[in-house]
Amino acid sequence: MVTSQDLPPKGGYDAIQWKRNLPSRGFRPSIYLGIMGAISVFGFWRLSIAMRVAREEKREKTWARIHILPALQAEADRDTVRRYYATLEREKAIMKDHPDWVDGKPVYHDGSLHSPTFVILEDTKSAR
Amino acid sequence: MTTSKTNPREPHAQPYYITDPTPLPSHIPSVPEIGATSAPLLSASYFIGARCAPYNEDFMLCRSQSRTGETDCLKEGRRVTRCAISVLEDINKNCQAEFRKHWGCLDNENHDLSRCRLDEAPLNACVAKFLNLTKVIPNSDGTPINDYETPSFFQNKVRAKYEQ
Repeated sequence: MVTSQDLPPKGGYDAIQWKRNLPSRGFRPSIYLGIMGAISVFGFWRLSIAMRVAREEKREKTWARIHILPALQAEADRDTVRRYYATLEREKAIMKDHPDWVDGKPVYHDGSLHSPTFVILEDTKSAR
Repeated sequence: MTTSKTNPREPHAQPYYITDPTPLPSHIPSVPEIGATSAPLLSASYFIGARCAPYNEDFMLCRSQSRTGETDCLKEGRRVTRCAISVLEDINKNCQAEFRKHWGCLDNENHDLSRCRLDEAPLNACVAKFLNLTKVIPNSDGTPINDYETPSFFQNKVRAKYEQ
């Protein structure tokens, strides 16, 4: 009886191709990382310029407002004073029969000029 | 309060009810009001600031030093108003075309000064020439922002090229 054993061929088996045979495309990963970093640096540089410009434009607008603010405030003050004296005159006319009443005495004692809480107005619609 | 019979839902906060037509008392001298809208005021603001700075600062100082600045600083306020009117009148006399172009642009461009640089440069030059007033933004270093070539400046350039 001939005994035989299934043995590898002489010289051994061929190497098993376990790796996919794909061509490697593009650059090394480090180069992509470098490109990404360069783009980011450029973007942040532009962003810093844009932020500085935006801040300066906001400052420009603010100063424009500061320059015209006194003129607007003066106009608003004249209107406030006009209304204040009109209210005072109206109060005098209404309270003329009450000698104890002090005309124009402020409700608050802080010495500031306050807008009146209640404004009595003529019916200007029917007067027209 | 009278209500309309035809319209029961008539709003009651109507301007003719809250208008107080009483004029200023006669002991306060009257002054003409500026009467300019926001765009011309913004366009002329730096020139108003350049000429009226002493009056403006005097008024604001007076206003801050008094609790009743509204009544105490009327004289300073009249000076401020007269000065601002003089600037606007001078600009209208000498640089009306440039001025109108610039504040028309501001009106159209959402009052964004950066989008009206092309119209601003001729106005600044004209006002510097005839009124001897220059636009100076305080505490700015380097190129003034109105001469800086921002992206919106290029956009305007391109737009002006195609509008021609």
